[in-house]
Amino acid sequence: MMDDSTKTGDVSFALEGRLTASNIGPVWAEAAQTLERNPDRRVVVDASRLDYVDNTGIALLFDLKRRRRPKGAEIEIQGLAPNLATLVPDDDPEDLSGAAPQAPSVGLFEQIGRATEQQITYVRRMLAFLSDCGAALLLATRRRGVVRWSETLIVATEAGANAVPIVLLIGFLMGVIIAFEIGLVARQFGAVIFVVDGVGVAMLRELGPLMTAIVFAGRTGAAFAAQIGTQKVNEEINAILTFGLDPIHFLVLPRLLAAVLVVPLLTVFADVVGLFGGALVLVSFDIGFVQFYNHLLGAVGMNDLLVGLLKAAVFGFAIAAIGCERGLSTGAGATSVGLSATSAVVTSIVWVVVLDGLFTVLLSG
Amino acid sequence: MAPAEAATTVHAEPAISVRNLRMGYGTKVLLDQASFDVQREEIVVILGGSGCGKSSLMKNIIGLYPPMAGDVLIAGDSIVSASPADKAHIQRKLGIMYQSGALFGSLTVLENVRFPLDEFTDIGPSQKDLAARLLLRTVEMGYAESLMPGELSGGMLKRAGIARAMALGCDILLLDEPSAGMDPITAANLDRTILRLRENLGFTFVVVTHELSSIFTIADRAVMLDPVSRRIIAEGKPSELRDQSKDPRVRQFFNREPDALPNAGTKRT
Repeated sequence: MMDDSTKTGDVSFALEGRLTASNIGPVWAEAAQTLERNPDRRVVVDASRLDYVDNTGIALLFDLKRRRRPKGAEIEIQGLAPNLATLVPDDDPEDLSGAAPQAPSVGLFEQIGRATEQQITYVRRMLAFLSDCGAALLLATRRRGVVRWSETLIVATEAGANAVPIVLLIGFLMGVIIAFEIGLVARQFGAVIFVVDGVGVAMLRELGPLMTAIVFAGRTGAAFAAQIGTQKVNEEINAILTFGLDPIHFLVLPRLLAAVLVVPLLTVFADVVGLFGGALVLVSFDIGFVQFYNHLLGAVGMNDLLVGLLKAAVFGFAIAAIGCERGLSTGAGATSVGLSATSAVVTSIVWVVVLDGLFTVLLSG
Repeated sequence: MAPAEAATTVHAEPAISVRNLRMGYGTKVLLDQASFDVQREEIVVILGGSGCGKSSLMKNIIGLYPPMAGDVLIAGDSIVSASPADKAHIQRKLGIMYQSGALFGSLTVLENVRFPLDEFTDIGPSQKDLAARLLLRTVEMGYAESLMPGELSGGMLKRAGIARAMALGCDILLLDEPSAGMDPITAANLDRTILRLRENLGFTFVVVTHELSSIFTIADRAVMLDPVSRRIIAEGKPSELRDQSKDPRVRQFFNREPDALPNAGTKRT
């Protein structure tokens, strides 16, 4: 226990028993207060009944020892057992006092500059990466054995076949939702039959590819970034490079090809169940399946399906490329893998929507 | 201060007691009928060839994996049959350094070492910083306090991990391959730190390692596992095991001899 007792002008207190992390908090605070209250008096610390200290106790003793105080107001630790005394460091390096160094704060202009530079670097790296991918694809068409088809098949299974249930569910629900929404409005005008046009065009040209791409970005784009990012952290990428192999051929090409093949296929699934969902809803608006089918044939053409599939292939390429690029530019540690995966999903979805807009403008004119 | 705590605490029971432990994964048994005690203020190394289950044994001792059979007592309390709350309480008596350091990637080195103090004590902020800095200096990592774990080398991660294991003042420390990947000087300094902590504060250490020089320097006792027989094949003072063991596997390990070649003994004609 601590007791302030004043005799001969000195302040003294005692440290007793066992001082450990669990009980040292109040003792330390009291000691610090005692020292602050008596800046110009000698302080005697009686440590003769101190049995045991842990690291925090050592830190307390060091804290008492290192304080610089004016002459006549020194701190004297008395009776500290030799085994404990050897553990308390003697010197007072400057770096142990004060708060942990903070990163210097960055001004507004510097922030804008850094962000701009970061974006320029990113665009430049993405362009370089895309040209590398293009070159790899070109080489793949000319020379046999460049593409690792077995790997491509494994990726396609995981990214494609295993994604069928979720794509079916989302496609079906999209068909149901838009048929219902348009149906309610169209009924007011007695134009329910034109809902078939709406559902057909919307599913085939827009929602089929778009929803599939968004599922693919969340499911597979993130997985690509996390897989390749973890390989980067574990130095597998370096191992590939020092074998004289190209990570683009080795890791990226199979994923790109798988994505370009699989996203249009998934889109077909989404289209079919979406139309089926729409037809199901329209039954409740008194339009039978046969009527729906006959009207659909007049409303949409092969052209609409192909535009949707072309979009899907481009989306697939973009998502896979962004996922792989994010993976390859992962920094060190688990945190950066997480950042890469997040960034892959966000960037992919933004780009899918931007590309969708471009398609709409180009193909409508 | 803490009047409830006696001036000198007498520990009758061993710090760690492993009793008839059988452990493994699924149906695969890695180690069977393992029994040994670690007394207070003792430094025991667990050793054996790669893949014999040293790290798994440590994870059984600290209660991360449940053993297939047998019991582990920490200061007399069973960690195997404890309720989750009791188990957490027992685990807090142990300072543990994992093989890779296992620092939290989102915190700086200093914040990592301060983390247990932040969670479990009422020490003031600047005082916690001071305590954490002293610990980092003990493992010669003072210069790296504001770095993120991602910026450290393997040996540095381990040293910061040791500092974090010691932060709460646990007097039983378990270290998984502490000196692997360290330069010889740092490894020797770490050995010295371990010995000083034992001598001056009465710490108990269980160290998983196969660094022979470290074993001979620090260990009071070695417990050697064998992956083939899945038993503890030797227990004793390392220098005695090296010089006097009747088991050729033990002598081979301590004398760092290679396996006999398959065609050894056949003369080339």
